[in-house]
Amino acid sequence: MLLAAVETRKIFGGTTHLERVLFYLLSLVVLVVFFAGLGLRVKKYMAGRPLDAGRFRRARVPLEKPGVSAPIPLAQTGVDIAANRTVSRRNHAVGGAHLLLFWGFLGLLAATIIVGLDYDVYGNLTRIFGGKELSFFKGWFYLGYNAVFDTAGLAAIVGAVWLAVRRIRDTKSSVALDYTRAQKPKSGYSRAAMTAGDHLFIFGLILILFTGILLQGLRIDAAGFPSFERWTWLGYTVAVGFGALGLHGSAAGSAHFWLWWVHILMALAFVAYLPFSKALHMISAPANLAVRDPGNTRRLPSPPSGHAGYQDFADFTSKELLGFDACTKCGRCHAVCPARTGGAPLSPRDLILDLRQYADRKRGIPMVLDWEERPDQSGPKNLEGRLAGEVIEPATLWSCTTCMACVEICPVGIEHVPTIVSLRRSLVDAGEMDPTLQSALENIATQGNSFGKSSRMRARWTKGLDVPIPDARKEEVEYLWFLGDFASFDERLQEISRTLARVLTANGISFGILYEDERNAGNDVRRAGEEGLFEMLVEKNMEAFSKAGFQKIFTTDPHSFNTLRNEYPAYGLDKPVMHYSELLASLISEGRVSLSGLGRKVTYHDPCYLGRYNRIFDAPRSVITSAGCELVEMPRNRTNSFCCGAGGGRIWMDDSVLAERPSANRIREAAELDVGYFVVACPKDYAMFSDAVKSTGNEDRMKVVDIVELFAEASGELALAGAASEEAPES
Amino acid sequence: MKIVVAMRQIADLVEELEVDASGADIDREFVKFVSNEWDEAALEEALCLKEAHGGEVVVVGVDDVDFDQTLFGALAKGADRAVKLSCGFEGWMPTAVRAELLARWLKDESFDLVLTGVQAADDLDGQLAGVLGARLGLPHAAVVVGLEPDGDGFKVTQELGGGVTLTSHATGPLVLGIQAARQAPRYVPISRIRQAMSAGGIEELEVEAPTARAPKVTRLFAPEAKGRAEMLGDKPSEVAARIVELIRAKGISVS
Ligand code: SF4
Ligand code: SF4
Repeated sequence: MLLAAVETRKIFGGTTHLERVLFYLLSLVVLVVFFAGLGLRVKKYMAGRPLDAGRFRRARVPLEKPGVSAPIPLAQTGVDIAANRTVSRRNHAVGGAHLLLFWGFLGLLAATIIVGLDYDVYGNLTRIFGGKELSFFKGWFYLGYNAVFDTAGLAAIVGAVWLAVRRIRDTKSSVALDYTRAQKPKSGYSRAAMTAGDHLFIFGLILILFTGILLQGLRIDAAGFPSFERWTWLGYTVAVGFGALGLHGSAAGSAHFWLWWVHILMALAFVAYLPFSKALHMISAPANLAVRDPGNTRRLPSPPSGHAGYQDFADFTSKELLGFDACTKCGRCHAVCPARTGGAPLSPRDLILDLRQYADRKRGIPMVLDWEERPDQSGPKNLEGRLAGEVIEPATLWSCTTCMACVEICPVGIEHVPTIVSLRRSLVDAGEMDPTLQSALENIATQGNSFGKSSRMRARWTKGLDVPIPDARKEEVEYLWFLGDFASFDERLQEISRTLARVLTANGISFGILYEDERNAGNDVRRAGEEGLFEMLVEKNMEAFSKAGFQKIFTTDPHSFNTLRNEYPAYGLDKPVMHYSELLASLISEGRVSLSGLGRKVTYHDPCYLGRYNRIFDAPRSVITSAGCELVEMPRNRTNSFCCGAGGGRIWMDDSVLAERPSANRIREAAELDVGYFVVACPKDYAMFSDAVKSTGNEDRMKVVDIVELFAEASGELALAGAASEEAPES
Repeated sequence: MKIVVAMRQIADLVEELEVDASGADIDREFVKFVSNEWDEAALEEALCLKEAHGGEVVVVGVDDVDFDQTLFGALAKGADRAVKLSCGFEGWMPTAVRAELLARWLKDESFDLVLTGVQAADDLDGQLAGVLGARLGLPHAAVVVGLEPDGDGFKVTQELGGGVTLTSHATGPLVLGIQAARQAPRYVPISRIRQAMSAGGIEELEVEAPTARAPKVTRLFAPEAKGRAEMLGDKPSEVAARIVELIRAKGISVS
């Protein structure tokens, strides 16, 4: 026997026949539960609207940008998942720990499958058909197997312990991990079960991993330390430890017997628990990442046919239902949300959790320790009530600025914004909205602008220009300038519009405007949920475009920019759309202007609809730095920029209920930087931040300026116009 | 309960109104016409009554520029019928004439209430409800701010001057000029208006030309400026200096 020693171990070493039968029976039950659970979920997704509903609306965007309008290629998603890229974003420590656990767990899963293949499949096949049971689980394969998968085991344990420690350590201090709801139900609520579920998940996993390693140690110890088991390096080390503690031979053997059952029962329980708990994200998260399309936020899907907005469970797309199941409650969206930060009753995390609970309850799918408890039948427990309005409160839906910060950061690829807008559409259909929003929409419907001014006043701002702006309806121009409502009607911004006109004229740019034929582009109208009005505005603007002669469009307003660039192509717009920051930057890069150094210390705010939505980060920065300004970045910049609070129709709603307006929060952030200028590239930002600088008492320290004002001043041809010409504070 | 709501179009006051060549009317060529906001309040009150107590809401009016928009809007909000009376009338319609056309149509209808806006931009003295009531021989009231069914009739609340309100009981049918509905006029999504438009549903009636006698407009003009206000600017030091200068120049009489 000794001579014949082969490097292997006996599967089920030391168990009796009865125990093996018991094990297989239990496994069978567990697999049935597991697949039944998964089946229930898949059936739930199939009950949603098909994935591709609305895709017919997708038309190629001129100037298509990867990661903006084009869907994310599957190969990239593969890399994102394998490298846990979405988990490590802006949080490398957690990402690293998760990556260890992710690959360690996959390794151990592979190890289990290999043993099963050898013993249950290969072994049985050879016994039945060859008369003699064979195994490949021996020799060099056995040694390599143990060396590799012991490493996986260690990685998983280190990752899991790291995550557990972090969760316990940070629960109090981290906004993301704080489960307090943003919207407080009248009846009260408890999320203790969710917290317990989190702990059960991570500590259960750690226990399973630990007992697995201990088992190896006991087995090697009981077998008397065969020298080839040194390849099972982790188990061997543990065995040495047991030996040092005086645990040997049959004592180790019987300890192994009991611990084996403990380990197996926990592991089986975990498999059964998986489809009904937080552990589900191991399957639903990669699946959701594979079907994610952040383009859905930039180019909103059309309403379900026959309904203006979401009214019940069947209106959700399969993709949305899968996304609800993918949420890990990581709270990253909760932490970045400007509505939540400002004290509004909206948290994108709570919204997704409520919708998940609602959907599961509707389908009768139970969850283990993953539901919020309420004493009454309100919110997600309200299965008969209106989805938009009762299950989800109107104030919650109206609080969203559609800033896209949640979609950007969600590690599992959930797209909150299209869901929020789809629910808003139902509120609009029922006429339930803020009176100020109602009058803005009525103004837009009758006058084509939110200011309620006559559409014939739209080009009034051009009065006072020495060189009149060509009428693109009457003469052919290279660029059609689409101003948007604020740049046309707001008095503070009209001067900036004139500055831009002067700069472009001075630099020989061929451009024109639509005069009274321009209408609100409808970006925020659509995001407020008024789809019919949006379509009407598109028709009006498309009609105006068809009457004009131009090659490209540029906009002042990043919101108009987004809808013209990403949504209008579906309605026939086939011209490239740019933002004025790109136009100014190209004047500089082509060497058409030379700017002289202003020598100022400034910071820059990335507008949501320019930055996160359309990935234009560098053009405005190049204008700033070319104008000789020292740019001090905001702590939250580029894709992590913090919304001014005006988007998604919020600019038309009352925000006096907020504890702190997002714009004020942002100015406080800038005030830490010791800069004299707060540079913007969006008319709404100019309006919002000019107010916020006043309301936070920073008037003497900081001035809000538009990039074109810097450009004009640095190009020397024009004095910095209007308000900005007054003595500016020195930085 | 059957409620008739009489609605009309007015020139959109957001626009700059101009007097036309005749000198007796606004220039109707370029001006936009919208629904009278008090009529919208009347419609809202009618819809609320219908929602609370059941019944039917019929909207009626004399054809005018873009009147279809208003009717489709009313249908989209929940009105059951929309009737448009056309008689080829052009230009500004005096209230007496409007009342005649509406009364002729109403004579053949049965109803419990006729609601209309208490006034309109071109009828600031709020004649329509009164003249209509008189023509129909029905009780009428204006500046109504509250309306509830009450036994065999209605409890009508009116606003008087000096913050006083008056409540009366009247048995119908009644003609009322509505000052305010119980809630702000509801929003009607464009998609619903479009649905109403594609469903059609406006009953268009050719009616005979009006015969009512009404005053003829001889001259329409913008208020003439009598003296000018001088804006003193916004820099406190300059304003103060200018005030001193003015006092010096004009003197102060202390009595
Ligand atoms: S889009 Fe912005 S405001 Fe809306 S839920 Fe997401 S993070 Fe919050
Ligand atoms: S929605 Fe996404 S970001 Fe928000 S808690 Fe869930 S997984 Fe995290």
